Amino acid sequence: MAFTWKSAGITYLKYTQICARAVRNALKEEERLIAQKRDEQGIKFAKWENGKQGDLKLVETQQQSS
Amino acid sequence: MDQNFRYYANEAPAGSSDRLRLSFALPHQTLYKNTEVQQVNIASTAGDMGILANHVQSIEQLKPGIIEILENPTTTKKYFASGGFAIINPNSLDINVVEAFPLEDFSIEAIRTNLAESQRIASTASTEEEKAVARIEVEVYEALQSALNK
Repeated sequence: MAFTWKSAGITYLKYTQICARAVRNALKEEERLIAQKRDEQGIKFAKWENGKQGDLKLVETQQQSS
Repeated sequence: MDQNFRYYANEAPAGSSDRLRLSFALPHQTLYKNTEVQQVNIASTAGDMGILANHVQSIEQLKPGIIEILENPTTTKKYFASGGFAIINPNSLDINVVEAFPLEDFSIEAIRTNLAESQRIASTASTEEEKAVARIEVEVYEALQSALNK
């Protein structure tokens, strides 16, 4: 079963993310609520030109559209 | 009188370099920092292995599974880790994983319902990626179930 996710186009980072989320969801209520705050993490970027900030983009959505 | 005695090697003094120094870190927390332990059992993608001091150097990818730390002959701690890497040096072991919790933090009911849900998605999802994601989750929950049943 190991590594079958690679052929589905899932990267290692994505894989660890899925595993971590599954582990958090298996926790008891109390611990789960604290742990799940760590779940949502992303990266935003914007290009600055002539002292002005360009469009703010989420890296995740960019990757999905490409 | 000396001829009647058999001499054995002296016991290594406590705290010598023959002990394994463990660093076990999560992105948000440090569980062990250069702590001397006796043995650490890890679940690597190459198989389960026990690490003692003076282990051959290696880097192991960890699968979702138990990390068992034998701090001393009487104290053993068990964590379930979501996956990451273990870097094995002759006298130190660095473990980096995304999430790790003591076994008593897990809810058997939550594992059971999530497992059933992931299994359902794995067989009914329309895209290959959704299926693959669900299959990964099934593996994690099954590993958790077997970890808690031990």
